[in-house]
Amino acid sequence: MSQETDIIISVRGLKIGYGESVILKDINFEVRRGEVFVILGGSGSGKSTLLKTLISLYAPLAGEVLISGHNLVTADDDERMVLLRKIGVLYQGGALFGSMTLLENVRLPLDELTGLPEPLKELIALSRLKLVGLGDAAQKMPAELSGGMQKRAGIARAMALDPQILFLDEPSAGLDPVTSAGLDQLIIDLAHHFGITFVIVTHELASIYNIANRCIMLDGRARTIIAEGKPAELRAQASDPWVRQFFNREPDAIHAAHPN
Amino acid sequence: MNSAATTDLETDVHWMPDGSARVVLRGWLTTQTTVDCWHQLERDLRGAKITTLEVDASGLQLCGGAGLALLRYLNMGKMTPHASVSVTGLGTELDQMFRGFTAEDYEAFRPSVKLKCQSLPAETGAAVRQTAADLREVVAFIGEIVGKLPTTLWNRKRMRWPEVRRVFELAGANAVPITSLISVLVGLIIAFEAAEQLAKFGAQIYVSNMIGLVMVRELGPLLAAIMLAGRSGSAFAAEIGTMKVNEELNALETFGLDPVRFLVIQRITAGIMLTPLLTFYATLMGLLGGIMVTLGLGFPLSLIISQLASTVHLSDVALGIVKGVVFGAIVSGVGCLRGLQTQQGPSAVGVSTTRAVVTSILLIVIADAVFSILFYALKS
Repeated sequence: MSQETDIIISVRGLKIGYGESVILKDINFEVRRGEVFVILGGSGSGKSTLLKTLISLYAPLAGEVLISGHNLVTADDDERMVLLRKIGVLYQGGALFGSMTLLENVRLPLDELTGLPEPLKELIALSRLKLVGLGDAAQKMPAELSGGMQKRAGIARAMALDPQILFLDEPSAGLDPVTSAGLDQLIIDLAHHFGITFVIVTHELASIYNIANRCIMLDGRARTIIAEGKPAELRAQASDPWVRQFFNREPDAIHAAHPN
Repeated sequence: MNSAATTDLETDVHWMPDGSARVVLRGWLTTQTTVDCWHQLERDLRGAKITTLEVDASGLQLCGGAGLALLRYLNMGKMTPHASVSVTGLGTELDQMFRGFTAEDYEAFRPSVKLKCQSLPAETGAAVRQTAADLREVVAFIGEIVGKLPTTLWNRKRMRWPEVRRVFELAGANAVPITSLISVLVGLIIAFEAAEQLAKFGAQIYVSNMIGLVMVRELGPLLAAIMLAGRSGSAFAAEIGTMKVNEELNALETFGLDPVRFLVIQRITAGIMLTPLLTFYATLMGLLGGIMVTLGLGFPLSLIISQLASTVHLSDVALGIVKGVVFGAIVSGVGCLRGLQTQQGPSAVGVSTTRAVVTSILLIVIADAVFSILFYALKS
């Protein structure tokens, strides 16, 4: 495969904001097929907003988001549907449909968007749930599950249609270290076995070192990307002192450099 | 690599003389091609009398989740119940994924048979128990309020009068425009209908007598209470219900603050003080509507006023106000109770607000009926 087709997401000159207020500007980066790409940044630096712009929930003020070479920002409805079929999204709270069982949640995209026969849809949904370790919870309602289980179920649902890219918004926030490590392992396995590309928003340092091939770091004050590279390299060599402090977890220094 | 030519799937079924069959899959087994493949195999294999089936997947270039599900389905013998089925030729990684979900997993995880229908006596019994439990909660709640209202009222700090003022403004002052509109219109409508019938007897002047009694004794209090139930009873249930879902009620309890004293008493106090005023206002507006029609029929205002004064006594006005107090207590109490009873889950708050409005209106009408009977008994 050539270098050219290896790029699955390409973001160029992205500017995000609401009306007059600009949240992020000059955002340029590329994500390669099959890699785990992490978007880092302090609270309020616009990580989730960037993610929601990448999946076209928010329209950017300027710039373009290319997924497999197609611009999601300017795509018409049909093209957009095709592009959206290539991605799966896990929202911060899991965003499971509360009135449906887990099985029905995972089956929903299969029911609505494919012509697959009934038994296969059930098989796919159950195998996805087993993959995230929730096979025996297939009949449970989301409200009966813990936060970590809901997030795993969210991943199972996001994977129902064999997406090429999975976007995860804070997958391990609020989870205990064991569950969080389990989720990291799941991400590594999925990237490895299914060749799925991951774009993950997080600020859990432990999980960044485990899973990330590459990362970018956003800064709330500079309103743009201040570092890009492998986590271990950034930790050792980043030019920006705040980036090093972030990776070395030095709360006071961060506080002094960034009062917000 | 996205071109149609390379993402196709070829499915060949070879029949062997010894009663076995071989399915050869070549190409891309995606969600889309899986659908076509399924229909072809369904047509060829379903009902075929074969003893063994081999699925050769060595020609697959790509196999997604749907493809794996199809292979597993074939492997479980679901399409060919009398044949032993083997899937061969999967690459190492695909094979690992294929083995990741087995026939045993499918049997273990698949939904069990749907719940059976309950028998009628069982359903009735459950409903009666549910109603009894609900009634019990209502009675306990009334007891709690009656016990806590006086002690809280005398304690300035606990009473949180600013909160009462806020509810008063939201549920009372802000309700004035809609109450005016509806009351005037209802007064108008009733006067019109009555005028048409009374004209047959040449008794149109009695429209004002009728509208006076109806508005002061019945419709004024009812309209005010129904408006309050729709606007504010539902809001109480939603506010308190959301607080319960967000664990704000738990936070109050761990501070040693009783949610009933902290949230409910204020709303009920505001409701009880507010509804008589709203009732009085709704009555006046209804009368205004009626008077407008009577004036339109050509009667002078002085005559209308004297007719009203001769029909409507102070006891009627007092009855309307007393009704207002009772209805106000019902609406605000039910709103708060339903809020406190909110369950967990995304639809819980919606359920609570609906129940608050339905129960409020039901109890208002029942209470109104009791008032009518009492008033009749007292007069005779």
